[in-house]
Amino acid sequence: MTEPEARRASQPDEPPPFLRTWRRVYLAVIGWLAILILAFYLFARRFAP
Amino acid sequence: MRLADWVVLCGALAFIVLYGLWRGRGSNSVNKYLLAGKTMPWHAMALSIMATQASAVTFISTTGQSYVDGMRFVQFYFGLPLAMVILAVTAVPIFHRAKVYTAYEYLEQRFDAKTRALVSAIFLIQRGLALGITLYAPAVVLTVILGWPDWLTTLVMGGVAVTYATLGGVKAIAWTDVQQMLVMTAGLVAALTCAVFLLPGDVSFLDAVTLAGAAGRLNAVTFNMDWNDRYNLWSGLIGGMFLALAYFGTDQSQVQRYLSGKSIAQSRLSLLFNAVAKIPMQFFILFIGAMVFVFYIYEKPPILFERTQLERLQSASMRADYSPVEQKYDAAFDLRKAAANQLIEARRRGDAGLWRKGLAEYGGAQRELDAARRASVSLAEKAGGGKINDTNFIFLTFVTRYLPAGLVGLVLAVIFGATMSAISAEMSALATVSVIDIYKRHFRTTASDRHYLAASRAATLFWGCYAVTSAHYAKSLGSLVEAVNILGSFFYGGMLGVFVLAFYFPRVRARGAFCGVLAGEAVIFASWYFTRIAFLWYNVIGCVVVVLTGLLISSLERRVGFSPRGASAPPMR
Repeated sequence: MTEPEARRASQPDEPPPFLRTWRRVYLAVIGWLAILILAFYLFARRFAP
Repeated sequence: MRLADWVVLCGALAFIVLYGLWRGRGSNSVNKYLLAGKTMPWHAMALSIMATQASAVTFISTTGQSYVDGMRFVQFYFGLPLAMVILAVTAVPIFHRAKVYTAYEYLEQRFDAKTRALVSAIFLIQRGLALGITLYAPAVVLTVILGWPDWLTTLVMGGVAVTYATLGGVKAIAWTDVQQMLVMTAGLVAALTCAVFLLPGDVSFLDAVTLAGAAGRLNAVTFNMDWNDRYNLWSGLIGGMFLALAYFGTDQSQVQRYLSGKSIAQSRLSLLFNAVAKIPMQFFILFIGAMVFVFYIYEKPPILFERTQLERLQSASMRADYSPVEQKYDAAFDLRKAAANQLIEARRRGDAGLWRKGLAEYGGAQRELDAARRASVSLAEKAGGGKINDTNFIFLTFVTRYLPAGLVGLVLAVIFGATMSAISAEMSALATVSVIDIYKRHFRTTASDRHYLAASRAATLFWGCYAVTSAHYAKSLGSLVEAVNILGSFFYGGMLGVFVLAFYFPRVRARGAFCGVLAGEAVIFASWYFTRIAFLWYNVIGCVVVVLTGLLISSLERRVGFSPRGASAPPMR
C-alpha cells in the first residue's frame, strides 16, 4: 500500500448526510449560486432607474 | 450610550466570553489547544469560519459602501461558492489525511523545509500586518462617534480576545464565534427593521426599495468587463474565486477552523455551508446600507459623517468657505425629498410621465447633493484633515442617533464581537505557525507536548499584545475594508500558486515551487506599482505566475538532470 493510499484508508471519504453523493452536493451549491446571481440580476433590473 | 445599551453590550460580551471559556476548558495538549482535539461538529466550524471572515469592517464599511456606491460590492463574493467546492474536493481531504497542524506543514511533506519556511514567513508578514488594521478599524470609528479613546477601545477588544484565545485555544475561539454569529445576526436584523420602521408613515417598504433603486443603490449585478473596475460580475466570479481560494485554502486563520473538524465530511460541510450562506448575508448587509440611504432621504444627513471633520468645517475660520456649500447641500436635500415623494406618487398612480419627470429631478438633486458633499470633503482636506473618507462612519452614525435604547448596545456588541472573532482567529493562527512551522521546526525540534503547549499559549499572548500595539499605527488607509483586502491580495496570489502546484502538479519539485513563489510576489508588486489593475486580479496574476514558473523550472531541472530534491510523494487526492 502506498503512502497516499494508506492515508486515504486511515480517513475514508464518508458520504454526505443528504443528496447521497458529494458530487450532487457540489452541483447543488453551484446551482444555488446561479439562482442567486439570476435573482440579484432580476432584482437590480426591476428597480433600476 | 444609555444604560440599556451598556447593559446589552456588557451582558452580550460577558456571556460570549464566559461561554467560550467554558467550552474551551480542558485544552491541555497541543492537539486540543491548536486543533480542538479534532472534535468540532460542522455547524460550529461553519459559523466560526463565517465569524472569522466577518470582521467589524464588514458591518461598518460594507453598509457605508452601499450607501455611497450601491450594492455592487456583493459581486465580490460570487466566486466564493466555487472556491468552497474546489477546496471541499481537494484541500480538505489532503490536509486531513496529511495530519498537519498548519497548511504550510503540508508544503514540507510535498516539497521541502525551505518552501514551508518561505510561505510561513509570507503568512506571518501578511497576517501580522493585517492584524493591526482589523483591530484598529472599528476603534477609530467608535472613537469619533462615541468619543471613546481609540487606545481604550483597542485595549478592551484586544484584551478580551487575548484572554479567551490564550486560555481556551481554538475550541474557545470556535464556540465563542458561534455565539458572536448569533449576536451579529440579531443585530443586523434589528438594524434593518429599524431603518425601515423609522421611515415616514406614508412610505412603504416597496416605496423605499423603489427609491433606493431609482438612486442606483440596488445595482447588485453589473456585466461590464473592465480590468480597472473592482466590482463587476467577472471580477467577482474569477478574481473573487481566486481570493476565496487563497483565503480559505492557504490562510491558516481559516484552514485551522476546518482542520479542527471530526472528519473530512464535517469539514467539507462547514465550507459548503459558507458557500450557501455567505452571499445572502452580504446582500442583507448591503441592503441595510441601501435602506439607510432611503432613511436619509427624509432625515437630513450630516454633510460629513465624520464628526471631527464636520466640526472643523463649522468652525469660525471656515465659515465663509463652508456656508455656500452648506446652502447648496440643504437646497439639494429639499429638492431630493420632494422628487422622492413625486416618484412614490407616480409609482402608486402608474403615471409614466410623472415618473420620468420625478426621476430626472431626483437624479439631478442627488448629483447636486453629491457635489456639495465632495466640495465639503475638499474643504476639510484643505483645512488640514488629510485624506478624508467618511464611508465608514455612515452606519454607526445612523445607529447611534436613531436606534432605540438597547439596540445601540446590541449593534455595538456586533462590532465588538466581529472584531474579537476575527482577531482571535488571526492571533491563534499566527501563534500556531510561529510555534509549529518556525519554533518547533527550526529552533526546538524535540521537546515535550507540555513545552509546546506553553509555547503556543505564550505565542498567542505575544500576538495579542502585538495586535494592540500595531493597531495604533494602522492609520490613513482609506476605506478600511478595501485596505484589508488589498493587503491580502499582495500575498495571497503567491501562496495560492504554491498550493496549486502542490495539489495538482506532481512533477513540480521544490526548487520550482520556491522560485515560483518569489517570481509571483515580484510580479504582483510590479503590477501594483506600474499598472492600475484592480487588486482582485493580483490573486489571479500571482497564482498563474507561480504555477508557470514552477512548471518551467521543474521542466528545466528534469532536462539538465538536477537532483530531484523535494520531488517527494505525489499529491494526495
